Amino acid sequence: MNIRRHIFAVAATAMLSTGAYAADIKVGVIGPFTGGSASMGVSMRDGVRLATKEINAAGGIDGNKIVLVERDDEAKNERGVQIAQELINNEKVAATLGYINTGVALASQRFFQEAKIPVINNVATGTLITKQFPNAAENYVFRTSAADNIQAPMIAKEAVEKRGLKKVAILADSTNYGQLGREDLEKALKTYGVTPVATEKFNLGDVDMTSQLLKAKNAGAEVILTYAIGPELAQIANGMAKLGWKKPMIGSWTLSMASFIDTAGKNGNGATMPETFIQNPPTTPKRKAFVEAYLKDFKPKNGIIASPVSAAQGYDSVYLLAAAIKQAKGTEGPKILAALQDLKTPVDGVVMSYNKPFSAADHEAIKAKDVVMGIVEDGKVEFLNAEDATAKKK
Amino acid sequence: MEMFAQILSSGIAVGMIYAVIAFGFQLTFATSGTLNFGQGEALMLGALVGLTCVDMFGMNYWLMIPIVCLFGMVQGGFVELIGVRPAIKIKSEFGWIMSTIALGIIFKNVAENIWGRDALPFPSPLPMEPMEFLGANILPMEILVVVGALVMMMLVEFFNRKTIYGKAVVATANDRDAAGLMGINTSLVITFSYALSSLTAAFAGVLIAPLTLTGAAMGGALGLKAFAVAIIGGLSSGMGIIVGGLILGIVETATGFYISTGYKDVPGLILLLLVLAFKPSGLFGKTAIKKV
Repeated sequence: MNIRRHIFAVAATAMLSTGAYAADIKVGVIGPFTGGSASMGVSMRDGVRLATKEINAAGGIDGNKIVLVERDDEAKNERGVQIAQELINNEKVAATLGYINTGVALASQRFFQEAKIPVINNVATGTLITKQFPNAAENYVFRTSAADNIQAPMIAKEAVEKRGLKKVAILADSTNYGQLGREDLEKALKTYGVTPVATEKFNLGDVDMTSQLLKAKNAGAEVILTYAIGPELAQIANGMAKLGWKKPMIGSWTLSMASFIDTAGKNGNGATMPETFIQNPPTTPKRKAFVEAYLKDFKPKNGIIASPVSAAQGYDSVYLLAAAIKQAKGTEGPKILAALQDLKTPVDGVVMSYNKPFSAADHEAIKAKDVVMGIVEDGKVEFLNAEDATAKKK
Repeated sequence: MEMFAQILSSGIAVGMIYAVIAFGFQLTFATSGTLNFGQGEALMLGALVGLTCVDMFGMNYWLMIPIVCLFGMVQGGFVELIGVRPAIKIKSEFGWIMSTIALGIIFKNVAENIWGRDALPFPSPLPMEPMEFLGANILPMEILVVVGALVMMMLVEFFNRKTIYGKAVVATANDRDAAGLMGINTSLVITFSYALSSLTAAFAGVLIAPLTLTGAAMGGALGLKAFAVAIIGGLSSGMGIIVGGLILGIVETATGFYISTGYKDVPGLILLLLVLAFKPSGLFGKTAIKKV
C-alpha cells in the first residue's frame, strides 16, 4: 500500500511540475502506415515528424512542445472511425493531421466536427472532403492537398487541350476515391464537350486488367485517364504492355506513388499527373533544405522519397497548425479554427508560401495555380513543363 | 476474333490459377472429407517465402521452387496436426472448418508482421515481352502458369495411380475404415494429403506471383474463387477442377468485356448458386449416397 501511495505522490508532483511551466500539445496523426496506400501514409508521417522535430527544437509553440499521437488507419473506414473517437475521447488531441484515403476521411472526420476539433487533411483529395458539412455553422475541416476538382480539370486539359486526344477512356477503381474522382473527371471533360468512349471499373487487388483494357482499346481510346492507387495503376500499365497497346496514361497524382513507379517499371514511363511538389530539382531554398533534412533523417530507398507530395504536404500542415495555435494563444478547437481562418503571419512552406491560406468560406490551401504537371521518367517523377522546373523567386 | 482470342487466353491463364488452388481442396477432401479453408493463405505464404528466397538470398527462381514446395509440405502438415486431426479424432463434423479458417487468419497476421502489408513486385524469371498467338498477346509467364499447373496435377495423379504410397492414398479416399483394417496408416495418409495440398498451393503461389503482386492479402480473394471452382467442378473430380477453373476464368473475363467490368464477379457466383441448386456434387462430381 505504501509503495502505491509513493508512486501516486511522485506521479502527481511530476504532472504538476511540468504542467506549471509548459504543456504538451497533443496532435493526432492519422494515415495508413501499412497496406496499399502505405507509401503515402509513411511519407506523410515522416514529413509531419520532421516539421514537429524542427518546431520543438526551436522551442516549440511559445515553449509548449508538440507531441504527436500517431495511429495507423490501415486505409479502412472502420479503423478510421475508431481512431477518431480514441483521439478525441482518450487522447484529447488539440487538432488532427492526416487522412490519405478519401473514404476514411469522409467516414471519420464528422467526429472531429462534432467535437469541435480542427482536422487538416494533408493528403486526401476527394472534392467533398472540405464540403462535407455544408449546413454546419462552422467547418472544422481544412486541407493542404490539391482537391480532385483542381486535379480533374488539369488532367482533362492535358489530354484534350494540350495533346488533342478527344477519345478518352476512364479507368477508376471502385473505392470512394476512384468513383468520386471519376465524377470530377467526367465533369471536367464535359467542359470540352468530350464524353469518354469507355468508363471502366475494377476492384482493389484485381490481378487481371485485360477486359477493362480491351474495352478501352475496342472503343478506340487514344488516352487512358486514371483514378486509382499504385498497385492497380501498375496492373494497368503492365496490362497495356502485355496487349502491345501503348497509349498515354494521364491521371490523378497517385501516379507518382512508389508502388506504381516501382511495380510498373519501364511500362510506367510517360505517366503524367498533377503534383504540388516534385523532389528534383528543388525550385526553392526551402524545398532544398526540406529534401536534404528528410533524406538525412529517414534515408528512403535510393534517395527518393516514397511519396514526396505527401511528405511535403504533411510537413507544411504542421507549420500551418503551429502558426494557428501560436496566434490563438490556446488549444481550444474554436480558437484554433478562428486562427486558421485568419492567419495573420504568412507561413513559409515547402509546397509554397502560405499567405492567408484559409478563410471562413474557403478551407482549401492549394489553388489551381499552385499545382504543376509531373511525368514519370525511369523511376522518378520529373517536371513535365520545363518552365516549372526553374527556380522561382519567392 | 482477335478480341475473343485475347479474352480466351487471359481467361484460361486466370482460370488455371484458380484450378491449381482448387486442386488442393480436392486432395484433402478425397482422403478425409475435410477441406483446408486456409488454402489461399498457403498460397500467399508460398509466394512470400519464394520472394524472400529470390530477393534476399539472390536465389535463382527455379532453385527456389523446391524450397517453397518443401515449405508448403511442412505448413500443410502443421495445419493437419494442429487443426484437423483433433476434429477427426473426436468425430466432430465441423470442427475442422473453424480451425482451418482460424489457422488461415493466424498465418495472414503472421505474414503481415514479417513481410508487412504492402503489395510487393515479384521478379519474373521469363521475359515480360508478350508473344503473339492467334492474334492474342500472351505473356510467357502465363503459359508457364498453365503448363506448370497441368504438369503438377499430372504428377500428383501419376503418384496416386502408379506408386504404392499413392495407392494407400486412393484406398484411404475410397474407404478409410477398410484401408485402416488393411494395415494402412490412414491418419498418416491424411496428414500427407494436407501436406500435398499445401504444396500445390505454395507452388501455385510462386507460379502466379510474377504476374500479380505478392502480399499478405493476396490469398483471401484467390482462395475464395478457388473454393467456388472446387464446388462448380466437383470435389471428387480432378478433371472437374480444371474445367471449373477454366469456366470461371473465361466467364469472368468475358463478362468484364461484353457486359460491364463492374459486374465481373457476378456470373461466377450465379454459376456457383446454379450448380449448388441443380447438381450439388458439382458438374463432374460423383453423387455420394449417405445412408443414415
